[in-house]
Amino acid sequence: MNAWLRGRMARWIRQRQGPDALPLTLERRRLYILPTRAGVGFGLLLLLMLVAGLNYANSVALFLTFLLMGFGLVVMHQCHRNLLGARLLAASTQPAFARGVGLLDLTFDNPAGPARYRVLASLPDAAPMSADLPPQGREQIELTVDAPRRGRMRIDRLKLVTRHPFGLFRTWTWVHAPLELLVYPRPHGSLPMPGFGGTDGVRATSSPGWDEWLGLRPFRHGDSPRQVDWKAYAREAPLLVKEYGAAGSEMRWFDYDALGALSAEARLEQLARWVVDAEAAGELYGLTLPGQRIDPSRGAEHCHRCLGALAVFGLE
Amino acid sequence: MNPTRSIAWAAGAFAGGVLLNIDRLPAWVPVATLLFIIWRLVAAVRATWLPNTALRSLVALVLVGGVVMRFHTLNGLSAGTALLVLMGSIKLLETRAQRDQFIVVAAGLFLLLAACLDRQNLLRTPLYLLQAWVCCSALAVVSYAAPMAPGTVARTSSQDPRTPGGGRTRHAEVAGGFGDRAAVLLAGRSLLYALPLATLLFVFFPRIPGAFWAIPRTGEATTGLSDTMSPGSITRLTSSYEVAFRAKFTGPLPPPQERYWRGPVLHDFDGYTWRRSPNSYYRQQPLEYLGRPYRYRISLEPSSQRWWFSLDTATGSPDSKVYFTYDYQLMSAEPVTEATSYDLVSYTSTRSNVELSRLARRQDTAVPEDRNPRSRELALKLRARATSDAAYVDAVMNYLRTGGFTYSVTPPALGTDSVDDFLFDTRVGFCGHYASAFVSLMRAADVPARVVTGYLGGEWNPVGQYFIVRQSDAHSWAEVWLQGRGWTRVDPTGVVAPERLRRGILDLLPDAVSAPARFVWSSPWLMSLLQRWDALNAWWNDRVVRFNYDDQLRILQRLGFDSPGARQLAWIFAAGLVGWMLWIAWRVGRTVRLQRPDRLARAYDRLCRKLARAGVIRQPHQGPLAYADEVARNRPDLASAVRTLIMNYSRLRYGPPAPDSHARQVSRFARDVARLKLEPS
Repeated sequence: MNAWLRGRMARWIRQRQGPDALPLTLERRRLYILPTRAGVGFGLLLLLMLVAGLNYANSVALFLTFLLMGFGLVVMHQCHRNLLGARLLAASTQPAFARGVGLLDLTFDNPAGPARYRVLASLPDAAPMSADLPPQGREQIELTVDAPRRGRMRIDRLKLVTRHPFGLFRTWTWVHAPLELLVYPRPHGSLPMPGFGGTDGVRATSSPGWDEWLGLRPFRHGDSPRQVDWKAYAREAPLLVKEYGAAGSEMRWFDYDALGALSAEARLEQLARWVVDAEAAGELYGLTLPGQRIDPSRGAEHCHRCLGALAVFGLE
Repeated sequence: MNPTRSIAWAAGAFAGGVLLNIDRLPAWVPVATLLFIIWRLVAAVRATWLPNTALRSLVALVLVGGVVMRFHTLNGLSAGTALLVLMGSIKLLETRAQRDQFIVVAAGLFLLLAACLDRQNLLRTPLYLLQAWVCCSALAVVSYAAPMAPGTVARTSSQDPRTPGGGRTRHAEVAGGFGDRAAVLLAGRSLLYALPLATLLFVFFPRIPGAFWAIPRTGEATTGLSDTMSPGSITRLTSSYEVAFRAKFTGPLPPPQERYWRGPVLHDFDGYTWRRSPNSYYRQQPLEYLGRPYRYRISLEPSSQRWWFSLDTATGSPDSKVYFTYDYQLMSAEPVTEATSYDLVSYTSTRSNVELSRLARRQDTAVPEDRNPRSRELALKLRARATSDAAYVDAVMNYLRTGGFTYSVTPPALGTDSVDDFLFDTRVGFCGHYASAFVSLMRAADVPARVVTGYLGGEWNPVGQYFIVRQSDAHSWAEVWLQGRGWTRVDPTGVVAPERLRRGILDLLPDAVSAPARFVWSSPWLMSLLQRWDALNAWWNDRVVRFNYDDQLRILQRLGFDSPGARQLAWIFAAGLVGWMLWIAWRVGRTVRLQRPDRLARAYDRLCRKLARAGVIRQPHQGPLAYADEVARNRPDLASAVRTLIMNYSRLRYGPPAPDSHARQVSRFARDVARLKLEPS
């Protein structure tokens, strides 16, 4: 019953607010506010004080009651203000393996007003994370996302909450931005990797590993500073990385169709296992899926391409 | 964020509440509280052992037992406060979650309410406001310390963030963060915002006259006159400088020798102590009022006694819950535990032609048969020489005047035959001795007489234009029933110490008793300061503490309502509430409103909108030059015009300032944007 009601509510709110696009400014019409449990307790305390004050015609108690009532109402506005006008600038996801967790990076901006403390972000059924937004500043919140199955996982909605200050009220909003988390298949399986060479006849050579010059490529986040071509950088060229490798020497082809003995999902998991292991070992590898072929290479981008293909295989 | 800080604040808010009530608590209660607070704080700092549930329950049981032992009840304000303090301290011991800390702060607010119910002095009110402020600040700190939803535990960065349902917060708190100072300032500002509403509600929230229920206030000390008088009992009062009541007259003041404030009337005498008669079957005698009426308002301080004082003799009861007894005394059904004020009319001189009833005569002529034989003998001797009761009164007064009697606030002790001892041996007495002896002599000669206790005189406060009557003004005198005149006031003290009637008690007191008072009197500056302070207190009690429904209606009348009632109150109240809410919404929301972009930005915005309609939408990451390139790529036909405009814009925005011509150039740019004609692609 409760879940049903919540589902109805979520649908209604989605319909009411419409889809969101980032950057998103939190405006009045999308902010909701209700007292917290502490707020309800505070209200009951005030009610008791009011009744006692009226009963005993106790002016000082009545005045304090009214003062605290006014305080409660001011707090309500302050809590509302703590989200009002804040901006969700960007949301980016980092892919995950199935049955693992992905990351959702949220960047908030506080364009006007004083610092906004204790802004909490959360996904449905998960613990919230908090951030303090400095005045005219930005702050990030990193959320973890449970990824049960491979594929493109839609992050349906995101909740932003604050109870600051005083914790008597809770202001929240729902964000329905088009957020997607790519979930790779779980790397799993114990079959041995196919040997070097491969189905298309690229021959393995015996020349040893890592001294062959492959060329220069633009710097990518995570590259070792030792590989950077500092001389080129000194000549005011962009940051470049020298790539060495064993091109054409040790190359593996991972083929979906070669794993006939396994079920479809198990094949994808096995392929993912191989991709991850090969990438870790720094080998060159290519992937063949029915109707799709990724030429051998290596590096984070290639790995992501392969795993991404596995993630959405058969789903799109 | 340091969790100790929020525990310390919660404990502080609670301790503040305890301090406000500390004078009504048995000494061991605050000691236990202090112990628990220290224990909890030490435990928070260095993870000391805290008691488990079983031990806490045991301690709670023992402490409740202690309260029951002390008060013999758990019902009542004092016992309830003690209980609340103890339970709150035990709750403090188990505060782990945010919820527990909220409850401890709420206990601090509860204790504030208890303190208000107990006393509403002007002097204490700032303390009450301070406590409200502390509690609100504590709420802010507690709320900030634990941002998570109740029941979830904040993950620290040392934990692996890649666990399901978790994550990490990367934020360093904003420079300085939401610290103690910020919490205190925010709470203070919020309370200040609430002040207009509080004032409005205070004045216009309809007060319901009458109580729905009452907490028994047992175990509280009574002050002032009691319903018995024995030699020395009034003397004890005279060393107290406490205010009994204040009286403000409209119209002329009674002359000094008529300022008798009537209190308990005592009828029953056992030879040593005078008591109030428990039964009062007698009808009040109709009085004929002589002279002029005095109209006044009495503001009575709480005494936990049932007497309401009036200028002798009042014409009736000011309140339905107050009896006007057959001996012209005002007696409330309930003890006076709160400051109370009432309006009265009195005549200082009365007469009655009605015959005294037989029962009443018997009651007021009774003397203990076996006591004070010598004085009875004296009475019969004097009465035999007198021609009438009135002449006998004069004879006794003469006897007291000429018999070598002296007036003293420190008379020697008397035996069980107190009247004989006083009249024939010590001959030194205070007002009570004289009244007691006089009435005894009257009764022994079969003249109906009774002792009246009350106050005499009072200190005039020129600032507030009222009399302050203090406990030190306590007095007792006699009333005799004379044929054709009815009950007649006779003050035997007056013949021994006539200055008591004129100048008040202060000059008669020995130095030691009233040294502080004497010091005050010796300095006109200090005197005037104290009078101002007292006038302020009186104003506070009269206008704020006793503000009621009638006062509300009076204010409405002054605002121009013809026949004001609760409905008008509600209207004003609602209108004020709405006005205040709008003000607060504006006041609080104002800080987050974005500043309107300047003219240049607005013009550039307009240009971007025009180009978007033409099919080139500026992406959020595109600066002006990149956007110009994009336009050139997509709409070569517009390239040159748009590039000129955009170059113009970047020069105005980012180029070196040209203070004198900047505004003109911005205007030109805006005009150019307005003139730009684009047809959709």
